[in-house]
Amino acid sequence: MNDFTFTGRERTTFIGMILVGIISLVATYFMGDPMELHGQHTRFWSNLLHNSVFFTGISFIALFMLSAFTTAYAGWHTVMKRIWEAFSLFLVVGFCLMGFFAIATWMGWHDLYHWNMDGVLDPNNKELYDEILVGKSAFLNKNWYLLGTIIILGIWVLFALKLRGLSVGEDTKGGKNQFETHYSIRWWSAIFMPIAAFSSAALIWQWVMSIDSHWYSTMFAWYATASWFVSMLAMTLMVLIYLKSRGYFEKVTPEHLHDIGKYLFAFSIFWTYLWFSQYMLIWYANVGEETIYFHTRVNEYPVLFYGNLVVNFVLPFLILMRNDTKRKYGTLIFVSVIVFLGHWWDFFSMIKPGVLHTAHEVHEHHGHGADHGHAHDKVSDAVHHGADHAHEAAHGAGDHAAEAGHHAAEFLTGFTIPGFLELGTMIGFLGLFLFFVFSRLNSASLEPVNDPFLEESIHHHT
Amino acid sequence: MVSKNREVLYGLYNDEEELLDAIKVANKDHLDIMDVFTPFPVHGLDPLLDLKESRLHQAGFVYGAMGTLTAFLFMSWVFTRDWPVIFGGKPYWSVPAFIPITFELTVLFCAIGMVVTFYVVCGLGPGVTSPYLDPRITDDKFCIAFQTNDNSTSEIDNLRNFFSKTGASEVNTKVI
Repeated sequence: MNDFTFTGRERTTFIGMILVGIISLVATYFMGDPMELHGQHTRFWSNLLHNSVFFTGISFIALFMLSAFTTAYAGWHTVMKRIWEAFSLFLVVGFCLMGFFAIATWMGWHDLYHWNMDGVLDPNNKELYDEILVGKSAFLNKNWYLLGTIIILGIWVLFALKLRGLSVGEDTKGGKNQFETHYSIRWWSAIFMPIAAFSSAALIWQWVMSIDSHWYSTMFAWYATASWFVSMLAMTLMVLIYLKSRGYFEKVTPEHLHDIGKYLFAFSIFWTYLWFSQYMLIWYANVGEETIYFHTRVNEYPVLFYGNLVVNFVLPFLILMRNDTKRKYGTLIFVSVIVFLGHWWDFFSMIKPGVLHTAHEVHEHHGHGADHGHAHDKVSDAVHHGADHAHEAAHGAGDHAAEAGHHAAEFLTGFTIPGFLELGTMIGFLGLFLFFVFSRLNSASLEPVNDPFLEESIHHHT
Repeated sequence: MVSKNREVLYGLYNDEEELLDAIKVANKDHLDIMDVFTPFPVHGLDPLLDLKESRLHQAGFVYGAMGTLTAFLFMSWVFTRDWPVIFGGKPYWSVPAFIPITFELTVLFCAIGMVVTFYVVCGLGPGVTSPYLDPRITDDKFCIAFQTNDNSTSEIDNLRNFFSKTGASEVNTKVI
């Protein structure tokens, strides 16, 4: 069964999932926010960012993985490489999603980024002027956010389309002793590797890390990429096992699943290594402007913080340690679902605390700040986390200072923990992803019949 | 260990595929293979010889867990009971700082424990000499060996036939 049929039932299921997502997004737009943030639609915009980044990342890693394997002359994955090609084509949708989000940032429709507030770069604005953000403004500004998103994602999309085009073309053109197409694929893959390495870091910095706009970590890009990586592997296992259960990919044996299982195991540990290294260096150095990031998460979001570690490290580590659990459908599906949700949760914990904090700051300045009318001679000291508290101190005379301090500590569905609307949004994006992937699988043979590594892959043995 | 000397009839093959095919024939003819020697691990050999999965890795898990506990409990005891010292304003019981050392000791205990267990199980140690059939089985030859102490002449002829039938490049006998 080399030709995939996208059945009507699957179509209906995925469209249903997309509808759930749309309903959830609409609901979060109109009534998702806590009372005092009403009108900012923070929960809606942050959910949109969270899921767009997560699913775009999965498709990016699929493209990266294909390029890396091709460059390394790897052959074992060839029988299932059409799945990764289909994943990588979702970058087209990711381009639209993130492009829309970048336009929203440029237009100022949302308040997720502190650096995007009017007045933070204006030295005459005593209340909002922020020296640190001035220092970062060469990178963190709305023009580059829009341009960078479009340019870099555009390049990724071009590579995804090019590699897919070559690979599908090989089905008709290639054959024994005709390796021109394969050389061409190898050439494009090798070019993509350095581009992917540098550009993914830049996009993660501006999309996710800049939410905590005073904070930075040199390990963040690696850590977030590892998170994408594990999610992509989990997604691969889920899709592959589902398709096998429908009778496709009969040449994918437990040997191939074993190798993907090993990747899942290894990269869960790699993710933990990066997570812990980032945490321990910041904890040990104890520099105020860095520590505040984890201080907030450990004290005010303990469920997110510790749950993240249990779900993404302890469970896959213990379950996938044995040889046989990496070869059975049941355990693989179980771990894949856990780890997939776990890394979605991981991105949630990267995004939401900073978003809530920024929303409160914007709310203070725009909502009530003017009402009080007293002069805020806040000192723009270099260590701005001092400044976050200085804000509250400056507002001290105003009666909502204590209120602002308490917000973050409250238990807020959608911010301190994912709620049903978050899950619904995720299901919607998952439906969109699967709909797109299945329709791409539909458009070409499931087996790359003329790939020179196909024979090797069929006889793969771990 | 076997006390009496073993009379061994063995055949050498030039290629691992020939070896695997020969073993399939031997299994079909119900020949009792004593052992198979290869210069490198051959994929698919274990199931053909009906070998059980090694339990060495289970021992490894136990050693690793012992390493984890030793490191973590020892450091906890030292830094909270025995000799509490403040480092860089951190609390006495600074779990994040213990993690790298806990990890290192887990790996160390696991590695050393598995090596020692492997040596003990295989009966290896200083001064132990290992009888070998042919030095080339550590280089480029693949060997199937039969023990022939109790075999009749016709049975031995049958084994020799098996070797010539399956394409062994050499057939020899040796007492080890």
